[in-house]
Amino acid sequence: MTALDHAEIRAMGPSLTESLRRRYFSSPGNTAISLVGGALLLWIVWTVLNWAVFKSVWTTPDGTSEVCKGIDGACWAVIHQRGRLIIFGLFPYEEQWRSTLACVAMLITAILSCVPWFWNALRLAMLWVVGFAIFYILMRGGFLGLLSVRPSEWGGLTLTVFIYAAGILVGMPMAIAFALLRRSELPVISGFIAGLIDGVRSLPLITILFAAALIMPFILPGWLQGDKIWRVIFGFGLFFAAYQAEIIRSGIQALPVGQEEAAKALGMSYFHRTTRIILPQAFRNALPPTINQFVITFKETSLVVIVGFFEVLASGNAAYGSGEWSFAYVEVYVFVGLIYYVFVFSLSRYGAYLERRMRVGQH
Amino acid sequence: MSEVAIQIRGMNKFYGTFHALKEINLTVQKGDRIVICGPSGSGKSTMIRCVNRLEEHQAGVIEVLGTELNDEVGNIDVIRRDVGMVFQHFNLFPHLTVLDNCTLSPMLSRKVSQAEAEKTAMMYLERVKIPEQAEKFPGELSGGQQQRVAIARALCMKPEILLFDEPTSALDPEMISEVLEVMVELAQDGMTMLCVTHEMGFARQVADRVIFMDKGEIVEEGPPEDFFNSPKEERTRTFLQQILSH
Repeated sequence: MTALDHAEIRAMGPSLTESLRRRYFSSPGNTAISLVGGALLLWIVWTVLNWAVFKSVWTTPDGTSEVCKGIDGACWAVIHQRGRLIIFGLFPYEEQWRSTLACVAMLITAILSCVPWFWNALRLAMLWVVGFAIFYILMRGGFLGLLSVRPSEWGGLTLTVFIYAAGILVGMPMAIAFALLRRSELPVISGFIAGLIDGVRSLPLITILFAAALIMPFILPGWLQGDKIWRVIFGFGLFFAAYQAEIIRSGIQALPVGQEEAAKALGMSYFHRTTRIILPQAFRNALPPTINQFVITFKETSLVVIVGFFEVLASGNAAYGSGEWSFAYVEVYVFVGLIYYVFVFSLSRYGAYLERRMRVGQH
Repeated sequence: MSEVAIQIRGMNKFYGTFHALKEINLTVQKGDRIVICGPSGSGKSTMIRCVNRLEEHQAGVIEVLGTELNDEVGNIDVIRRDVGMVFQHFNLFPHLTVLDNCTLSPMLSRKVSQAEAEKTAMMYLERVKIPEQAEKFPGELSGGQQQRVAIARALCMKPEILLFDEPTSALDPEMISEVLEVMVELAQDGMTMLCVTHEMGFARQVADRVIFMDKGEIVEEGPPEDFFNSPKEERTRTFLQQILSH
C-alpha cells in the first residue's frame, strides 16, 4: 500500500454507522449504558415537548384563565394575557409603544457599540448620547405632546435593559480610573483606591442599592440628589466598577514591563501609553473575566426590586400574582428565564467572537 | 568642533542599599559609536537605561543633548523622543501591525501626518530590509525580523542618539548577523550609538571606543585596537579571555 492510499483512507474516515458502533456499542456493557441513556434522553425530550407544545394552551379568547382548566400541558395563555406586564411593568397601557421603542433603541445602541467601526472614543460617546437621549425622551415624556411618565412607573424588560446599560456605562469609566489610580506611584492615591475597592466589594449589592435609594437623600444636598433611579444606577455602576477595576488591573499586571518601557522610550506621553499600548492589551488579556462580569451584572439587575423598581423578574412575579393566574407561575418563570437566557447567551457568543477576532496576530 | 551628546559626571545609582553604579563619568560626542561590555550584573544595561531615564540615578549629573536629567525635567517624554532605544526582547507592540508599530509614536508624539509617518516608516523598513512585512503582526515574524522592526521603529522618531541594550542576546545564532548588519550600516551613516553587547566583532568593526564595566564601575575605556590588543586592567584581560576563547 502506498503512502497516498493511507492518506486517502484517513481522509475518508470510518463510516457513520462504524463510528457510532465504535463509540457507543463497542461492548455489551457500553451497549447497555447507551440504550438506557438514550431511552432516558428520549423520555425527557418527549415529556418537555408534551408539556410545552403538544398539550399546551397558547391563547385565551376571553382574557380569563378558563381555557387552562383541566389541561395537562403548559398554560402559555398567561403570557398572552399578562405578557405586556412582564415586558413593560406598570408603564401606562396606552403609552407602551413608547416603552417598546425605547427598549429597541437601547438594544440597537448596545448592538451597534459591539460593531468594530464604532470602537473609538468619539463614535462610542456620540452613539450612547444619542441612544440615551432617545430612550429618555420616549420614556420620560412630558413634552412634544407625550404624556409624562415618572421613572417610578418604568418597569419590566425595558427597565432591566436600561439599568443594565446605564450601570455599565457609568461603571466602566470608573473601573478604568480605579484600575489606573490603584497603580499610582503615590501611596496616598493607590491606598485610597484600594480601600475604596475593598470597601465596596465587602458590601452586598443590596446594601449599596439601599444606601443609594434611601440614605443618600439624607446626605446629599437637594440639587445633587436627582431621581432615585439615577442614584440606584450610580450605586449599581460603583459595585460593577469595584469588580471590573480588579479585572482590568489583572490584565495590566499580565503585560510584560517591556511594553510600557518601549512606549516610554519612544517618548509617548502617559495618556498615549495608557490608551494605545496598555489598556488595549489589558482588555484583551482580561476578556474572559470581563464577559463573566457582564453576565453576572445582567443577572444582578433583578436586585433593584428591593428598592421598588419593577424590573423584568419582579414584573413576572406580578404577572402571576393575581389570584386568577396564580397556578401558572412555572410558565411565567420559564418565559422570564428565556428572556435572561437570550441576553446572557448572546453576550457569551459575542465574547467568543471577540476572542476569535483578537487572536488574529497574536501567535 | 563636535557637539556633546551625552555627559555623565559622578553618577551613582542605588537599588535600596545595593550600589548598582559607582561614580560613572562618560562623555559622548555626536557621532560617537560606543560599545559597552562586561559580565552580567556589571551595571552596563542600568547605565544606558539611565540615559533615557527608564532608571533614575540618585547622585551625580546626566546631561542629554544639553538638558540635565533630574526631577525638574519638565517633560522627560520630549527628551526620550530624541533618544531611541532597542531592547534585548524587542518589546514590539503585539496588538499593532509592523507598520503601526513604526507610525504610532511619530503620529502621536511628533504630530506627523499619517501619510508622512507611513512614508518614513516604509523608508526605514526598507533600510532594515523587511518592507514586505509591513502589514504583518510582530508575532508572525522571526526574532531577527522583529529586532530589525524594533530598530526601524526607533529610527522613525528620527532620534539623535540610539541606545542598544543587548540587541542580539535573545536571538538564535543564525539571526544575529542580519541584525548586526543593520547596526553596522547605521554606524557608518554617522548615528550616535551606545551599544551594550557581547559582539566583539561588531565592536572591532565600528566602535570608536570600547568601555568595560564590572561591579558597577567603568574599569577601562579605549579605542578598540588598544582595548583588545593591550588591555591595561587585569579584570579586562580575564573577561576578554573568557569571551574570546570560544
